[in-house]
Order: sequence, then structure tokens, then C-alpha cells
Amino acid sequence: MMDMVESANRIYAIKTTAKQERTVADNIEKVIREQKDIHVMAVMVPEELKGYVLVESPDSIARIEQLVELIPHARAVVQGSTALSEVEHFLVPKPVVSGITEGTIVEIIAGPFKGEKAVVKRIDSGKEEITVELYESMVPIPITVRGDSVRVVERSEDAS
Amino acid sequence: MVVRKKVLKVCRECHRVVEGEACVICGTSNLSDDWAGYVVIIDPEHSEIAKKMNITMAGRYALKVR
Ligand SMILES: [Zn+2]
Repeated sequence: MMDMVESANRIYAIKTTAKQERTVADNIEKVIREQKDIHVMAVMVPEELKGYVLVESPDSIARIEQLVELIPHARAVVQGSTALSEVEHFLVPKPVVSGITEGTIVEIIAGPFKGEKAVVKRIDSGKEEITVELYESMVPIPITVRGDSVRVVERSEDAS
Repeated sequence: MVVRKKVLKVCRECHRVVEGEACVICGTSNLSDDWAGYVVIIDPEHSEIAKKMNITMAGRYALKVR
């Protein structure tokens, strides 16, 4: 068993008209913001799950059935609910390089350049790699490292 | 003229669906139209999904970005 705290939120599956999954998700957000009785924290549309959206809610299934009545292209709630842990494999955490931008100063924490400071030159989120130039090197040689093998020392100028 | 559905782009850094030319969160214009899966975060503070995805702002995000 994984050692994690389960929140009170449950995951409900709502059956949708084919190819309307995203529209349903958008409409759920709209409806939820316009009323107070039904609570939905998030709506997930995994590409593997054709014809369904997954709704994260602390409410009972009766509320979710009410919700379905208000949403065009939402057809029915699948009976029962599940814990987030059952569906979290659909969630891909943000790539580890996120938060790192060009100009960020990082410390390399793994590999042959461990302990060196470097400036980020390029980010490839798709491959989760970043290209850096070693900070104190006389000749700036770009090296490519995995996003999880660096630690942010200082951000570029994001005061925002 | 063929009416084509507008292709939504997402931010490669935070996965947020971007309406314009740059991500409002990251300020980057490093966008991708090759993405899959979709999540609408309505209440990031109370959403376990948002926590798992390290999302702190409500909005629409892609699950996978290539
Ligand atoms: Zn972004």
C-alpha cells in the first residue's frame, strides 16, 4: 500500500457523447462556477478513456447526477465512485524541468559535473532535458543534462 | 474556405492551454500543438488532481505534451 493521505474527494465517471469529452469538461466548469450546490474541484479527460470524463468532487453521486442534467453532451454518471489513487496513473506530473527557464542558474546534482553551477541555455520539456553552460568554465561548453539532475540556485528575473 | 476548428496550443513548461501567443503564467512562447489528455482545474486548493500535477492556478491544462 502506498503511504498517502486520501482526501475526501471522490472520482466519478460521466459518460459523454463521442468526441465531446473536452466540451463537457469546459461546460462543467462553467456550470459549477454559476451555482453553489454542486462542488467539483477538477475535471479530467484522459485520452485513453474515450467517451468519459472524470470528475473530482466531495459530493454524493446524487449531486453529480444533478450536474449531468445541466450539461449538454453529458449522458449519465457511472454508478459508484473511486479514489483518486485508482486514476492517478492518467496524470503525468509536470515535467521536472518546469520552473526552470533560460537564464536560471542551477547546480548540477548528478553525473560527471556534479557540484558545478551552470546557466540554463535551452529547455526541452518534451524530452525533459536542459542544455546548460557551466558557470565558471573558461570556455562555455554547452552540455545537456536531465531536468531532474539539477537544482535551481537562482531564478533569472521572475519577480512575478 | 474550409472552416477548421482552431487548434489549441499548450505551454510546454506548465502545460496550460494558451489562447494567445504566450503563456500567461510562464511568459514563454514555447508552445506545442502536439498534446493529449485534458484537465480543467476549477478549485486548485481543494483538488487532489491539481496537487498531483503541481498546479496552483485554475484553468485548462494538457495531461501530456510532446
Ligand atoms: Zn506556462
